[in-house]
Amino acid sequence: MQIRFEKKLEPSRKMLFATPILAVVLTMILGALIFSILGYDGLGAVREIFLTPLTNSLKWQDLAVKAAPLIIIGVGLSIGYRANVWNIGAEGQYIAGGLAATGMALLTHNMSGWYLLPLMGIAGMLGGMAWVFLPALLRTKLKVNEILTSLMLTYVAVQLLNYLIFGPWKSPTSFGQPQTVLFNDWQILPYIIKGTIVQAGAPIAVLIAIMAWLIMSKSVFGFQVRTVGSAPNAARYGGFSENKTIWLVLLISGGLAGLAGMLEVAGPFNRMVPQFPAGYGFTAIIVAFLGRLHPIGVLIAGVVLAITFVGGEIAQTTIGLPNAAVGLFQAMMLFLLLAGDVLVRYNIKIVRARRA
Amino acid sequence: MNIDLTIAIIITMVGASTPLLLAALGELVVEKSGVLNLGVEGMMLTGAVVGFAVTYTTGNPWLGILAAGFAGACVSMIFAFLTLSLFANQVATGLALTIFGAGFSALFGQAFTGKPIKLFKSIFPDYLTDHPILRVFFDHSPLVYFSLFMVFAVSYFLHKTRAGLVLRAVGENDHSAHSIGYSVIKVRYGAVGFGGMMAGIGGACFPLLLTPQWVEGLTGGRGWIALALVVFSAWKPTRLLAGAYLFGLIATMEVYAKAAGGGFRIIPSELWASLPYLATILVLVLISMRHKMSSSAPACLGKPFIPSN
Repeated sequence: MQIRFEKKLEPSRKMLFATPILAVVLTMILGALIFSILGYDGLGAVREIFLTPLTNSLKWQDLAVKAAPLIIIGVGLSIGYRANVWNIGAEGQYIAGGLAATGMALLTHNMSGWYLLPLMGIAGMLGGMAWVFLPALLRTKLKVNEILTSLMLTYVAVQLLNYLIFGPWKSPTSFGQPQTVLFNDWQILPYIIKGTIVQAGAPIAVLIAIMAWLIMSKSVFGFQVRTVGSAPNAARYGGFSENKTIWLVLLISGGLAGLAGMLEVAGPFNRMVPQFPAGYGFTAIIVAFLGRLHPIGVLIAGVVLAITFVGGEIAQTTIGLPNAAVGLFQAMMLFLLLAGDVLVRYNIKIVRARRA
Repeated sequence: MNIDLTIAIIITMVGASTPLLLAALGELVVEKSGVLNLGVEGMMLTGAVVGFAVTYTTGNPWLGILAAGFAGACVSMIFAFLTLSLFANQVATGLALTIFGAGFSALFGQAFTGKPIKLFKSIFPDYLTDHPILRVFFDHSPLVYFSLFMVFAVSYFLHKTRAGLVLRAVGENDHSAHSIGYSVIKVRYGAVGFGGMMAGIGGACFPLLLTPQWVEGLTGGRGWIALALVVFSAWKPTRLLAGAYLFGLIATMEVYAKAAGGGFRIIPSELWASLPYLATILVLVLISMRHKMSSSAPACLGKPFIPSN
């Protein structure tokens, strides 16, 4: 007996939608099994990580808070990945955006007015774009691989963050804590629902996903990105500039990651702290793939990954599961999704070996 | 500059280079077979935590190294199965492997935080390792000699043996290699496994050779720098050696620049810590300016192989 893969003429749309769901379900089953073997309460872990955040309405606010940066960064990355441009340094662009917004907040600290938050937002986006500028320049001018350059700059961003908050930006009243001063009232995101912890980041994330969906499906730009990614020769023949596309998708993904950084620092944190890099930029890579590089898919996937983050915190307190376990669940999900891709593009046939 | 300091710098540099060299050598073989495994960082983290755990529990660093290599090879098989048997995207799967290794090592390392192990020290007699001059040759961890041996072993294997020729053929033209009867998939499975083993051992260098404790994320992006080194080396093991030692020097410069005092003191330590990453970018730029990368990269790098029949 032999297993044979036959390429489908067209990727199966049914499988394209089914495999992410399959991956999540299989992660729950396999996860329960593996963590039980490892000596943890496997079923409990899966229940707390995947279900409790949904059934316990007190946790819904946390979901919105955690999902917002994942969705915003994930949407940007997915546009780039569509064009076969592999920005994996979103974490660095997120930090750079947060730092630029912090810089703006410190500059305008004794000012007041509604315009301070938009100014910080612009600064954040520019910061994120600045952090992706070098990878974009090197990729388009010298064909230097953007995977490595964007990732290297993430480590540099962490060092820059440390330098600033241990040095010039350290608050004089923080008793030696490496952190900036608290932002003023005009520099902190408003709460959209009174009495909750949900700030303006969540609705902005939804808005960005919808806008990206419209742009990617209805505009020439969306078509250009998809063509450059899937058929570079056809794109060239059709007059689409590959370099221009690379610049655009990198600036978009960097700018959105920077905006996410601004929304975090002006939202949950209210000041720049050493704990600011929380790994959202890396998790957003999983979000982009799980969402099938489609903005609406990313919106849903962002919520799914937010569930695992919130659930991980619950599992830590209720059943003592180390928080790092969440990373393992997330990686497993991505592995299973990638494995499932074979069902999208191939027909699997089991054939009996015939005697010659 | 006095001779003692020079020798101390060389010994530190060699130590800091060794994990990079081991991981990059493994990846070089993987890429020569036509596969791009971006999961080096994840395999290094896996090797690091397993190497630490086994050394801590058995007290035997040799067992720790063996286990680290085995663990690295095991996790690389996840990558191999997905990309070679199920034709998954190599870039995405490599990233997934890195995320997996980070999660795995964080989870299993927790139990070992704050626990001490002994460094895997030189096996030569004291009068050689303490000798003011000769210690430059003898005061190294066995891992250092292993890495140097592997430079020549890999170089010999790739260019002087029949198996090495087959591996290169698979990386240069998979369909031709397939049509004359070589199993492209099997060769690539083997190469990926070797790369995983080397990355695992490279990762184990962090607790066994550099700082004898468990710190989460202790590889600090060295796996990615190893990937850049392979490009820098133009896929030649001996050039890889030079590149790795150059990076080791950059990574250890902070310590000695501070000791040297003077003008070096005004440079913030964060800038020193950023240097290896900035240097990596610079190196990538210089290479692409000097020659078209396509001329030395294996022709089938990163492309999936789907047998036609």
